[in-house]
Amino acid sequence: MYAPGVPVAVPDEDAVLVRSAIGGDDEAFKELVRRHKGTVLRSAARFARNPEELDDLGQETFLRVYRDLRSFRGDAPFRHWLSRITVHVCYDALRKRRREEKDVSLEVLAATVADPSTGNGPSAWLARMILDQAMSRLKPEDRLVITLYELEDRSVREVAELTGWSETRVKVRAFRARQALKRLIGGDDER
Amino acid sequence: MNDKPHDRSDVELDRYIALARQAPPDISGVERNFETRVMARIREGREPWYAWAWRLVPIFLVLTILLSGWSLSSSPVHPADPVTMLASGTQEVALLDNLTGE
Repeated sequence: MYAPGVPVAVPDEDAVLVRSAIGGDDEAFKELVRRHKGTVLRSAARFARNPEELDDLGQETFLRVYRDLRSFRGDAPFRHWLSRITVHVCYDALRKRRREEKDVSLEVLAATVADPSTGNGPSAWLARMILDQAMSRLKPEDRLVITLYELEDRSVREVAELTGWSETRVKVRAFRARQALKRLIGGDDER
Repeated sequence: MNDKPHDRSDVELDRYIALARQAPPDISGVERNFETRVMARIREGREPWYAWAWRLVPIFLVLTILLSGWSLSSSPVHPADPVTMLASGTQEVALLDNLTGE
């Protein structure tokens, strides 16, 4: 599934651009970046902590695409191949990242949500903030799978294709990640 | 979507997830001129090693000047001709031995 409102390029046009880029046409590659940057950045934004990190993840994705352009076989749409690379770059970043500092206490955020004076429930922004905080304490593979499966609402098969994992592994990971998230949001921090 | 049992905490988590989906991350700031930055990094990575060499010239120049200054200030004086050596008096005996072949 891809973000709504994102222009989806015609695969043939992408293939032509890829061929030109392999031939050394920088403008062709720039056009590929221009077409797909929204999709890549929207996916990477689920993993980035700030705009600088998002920029790094996006650039790293396209640098890897450029480097591996010759290995793109063209039997599947370019955007599928690009999505897989995006997921791998983000996963690598999650694994490299040390366990994050608690910027904002989950308990404080949860209390804000529970406070009747703040309204009927959490705003979308606050819910995302709480989820981000909780997910930052998950293992990288758990965070990856919960992001793709729950937040991006992809199917198990899609997640398996993007990550290169088996469907069983995706299901197990998704289940464990959910359990961990419930504990975290419920205030029962596993640390 | 999921074949998992739904207790109260599941419902709460689903509520958070549903709300979080409604708040897509803001990428507008990063999106601006993104392709230009990517292309700049690609060109940077493509530069051959000697394209960087000229940037090291000032460093080597300063190093050369410093080493020359240090070399001139710390090296001992070696008089070139025997008369000067005699005049200095410090190596008189050795020089005379040398000149007389002893």
